[in-house]
Amino acid sequence: MADGSTILIVLESHEGTLRNTAFESFAAGRELAEATGGELVALAIGSGISDAAGELGSYGADRVLVADAPELSAITVDGYSAVIDKAIEQVSPGVILTAGTTAGRDVLSFLAGRHELAHLPDCTQLRVDGSELLARRPVYGNKMMTEVRSSLDKCVLATLHTGAFKAPEPDSSKSAPVESLDVSFADGDIRVTITGLESSAGQAADLTSADIVVIGGRGLGSEENYKLVQDLAEALGGAAGATRAVTDLGWRPHYEQVGQTGQKIAPKLYLGVGVSGAVQHTVGMVGSENITAINRDSAAPIFKMADFGLVGDLEEIVPKLIERIKAKKGS
Amino acid sequence: MKIVVLVKEVPDPNALRLDPRTGQLQPGTPTVANEYDLYGMEAAVALREAGHEAEIVVATLGSGRDPVNRCLAMGADRAVAIDDSSLTDGDSLATSKVLAAFLKDEGFDLLFLGQESSDSATGDIGPRLAAMLDLPVVSNLIGCDFDGSKLTLKREIEDGHQTLEVTPPAILCALSGLPDPRSPSLKGIMASRKKQTDVKTGSDIGVDAAPESIVSWGDLFIEEQESQGTIVESEDVDEAVDQFVAFLEEKRLI
Repeated sequence: MADGSTILIVLESHEGTLRNTAFESFAAGRELAEATGGELVALAIGSGISDAAGELGSYGADRVLVADAPELSAITVDGYSAVIDKAIEQVSPGVILTAGTTAGRDVLSFLAGRHELAHLPDCTQLRVDGSELLARRPVYGNKMMTEVRSSLDKCVLATLHTGAFKAPEPDSSKSAPVESLDVSFADGDIRVTITGLESSAGQAADLTSADIVVIGGRGLGSEENYKLVQDLAEALGGAAGATRAVTDLGWRPHYEQVGQTGQKIAPKLYLGVGVSGAVQHTVGMVGSENITAINRDSAAPIFKMADFGLVGDLEEIVPKLIERIKAKKGS
Repeated sequence: MKIVVLVKEVPDPNALRLDPRTGQLQPGTPTVANEYDLYGMEAAVALREAGHEAEIVVATLGSGRDPVNRCLAMGADRAVAIDDSSLTDGDSLATSKVLAAFLKDEGFDLLFLGQESSDSATGDIGPRLAAMLDLPVVSNLIGCDFDGSKLTLKREIEDGHQTLEVTPPAILCALSGLPDPRSPSLKGIMASRKKQTDVKTGSDIGVDAAPESIVSWGDLFIEEQESQGTIVESEDVDEAVDQFVAFLEEKRLI
């Protein structure tokens, strides 16, 4: 079938494990396939992932392609784009979707450049509108939204905003044929050499396992004020972390960062102190059970998602809050 | 070595106001140099200061001169402004075609640009240029060392900090984890006034007609997520704190 009705979803893996965010593309892909009347083809890329790929029918794929090669253990633009090109030859997709991870965005932007195609990045909603693909996406630092569209006459690439689509529960009664893509790499095909990874996972075990997490953002105003975050976390019996703005400023180590390129947390209580709620941060904490925030700016996006929010001066509020919590706990 | 740095003029991210009647930013919104681009500029200057002989060329697509002037004051040797109103409103495909034409003409060993611009935030340009110029691209850059033949780079990705090596020519997309861009010194500003800015039109770089855009943008809007929660904005801090504590108790969090 080369009529462009096929929806191809690309699933990335890291060190032999398909990423959790990859499964979110099944939700978006299935909806588009219903609209085009085409097949939903899942392409799993990595090293040692063939077994996991065998299960992808249960998530709703009609057909599964697997590219399993040692060179694909780590994600590279050259490696992944070569594989996706093979899949394009094989299934002539009308739309290619992948999770909007750092790698997913790099790879689809690169392919869009190579084939002169449209790339709709960071989509929070996606649908077929007549002969076009229509996507809603945040722009201007998540302060505003817009709708972007591109004709489906040519293949359209789209990356999904993390957390915007819910991964389906697997249904073991469903299965799909699995085919291996024949991929091989010669010396020099992958033009970067990955030499190491300073993992942020182990060092932040406290943060990712805690029931209560207090996060400090740029609104703290100074490195000294991070003490307020630590004291508040201690009073609540939880862990303390930071946004990327704070780790970039060097106030806190990188492994304490919560967000797209940091830790993913889903505690019972999230409390953001001086956190504005930029998307790069909120994708790392959106699964929290109760979201609360203290911020001077009542227009901060974090209040839109907060279950409870205090607008005001954190230097004034936090010490009083610590005092009251200590008093409650002591009583 | 020749280093090209791309810098874009963007609406000031701290002064954004939507005009709901037009679905556009309010007219007269001030502009600034895209922040991530300046981190790329700083990385270029730092390479030269580390002892690598380099010519640094800063380039922009658009009519604004402040971003290139700032980069000249930071240490760029000369500037190119592709200033052609028929080329400035393209999508990322059209924009990357214009930039690729310029870069083929100009040539470089290293190209720095920001990971994304703060306005459209597609993050498309670096990887698109890499594909069009058939070069390696390294995104989300937070560290950059050069030993004279290969670059040792650090990136920030989902799994932590990745280190990798690549041999120029290459395209590097800068993130704010790199060293902060320096403020132009008075001496730098004075020196920049003597530096040259070449103004080019499309035909100067071999782009005779504006490349076609295939992605169209709708109006801007603010998504009304009605907050489900309780937002307390009170003069009385004690009362506000009491309400917060009551919420925590109700949810059995303390």
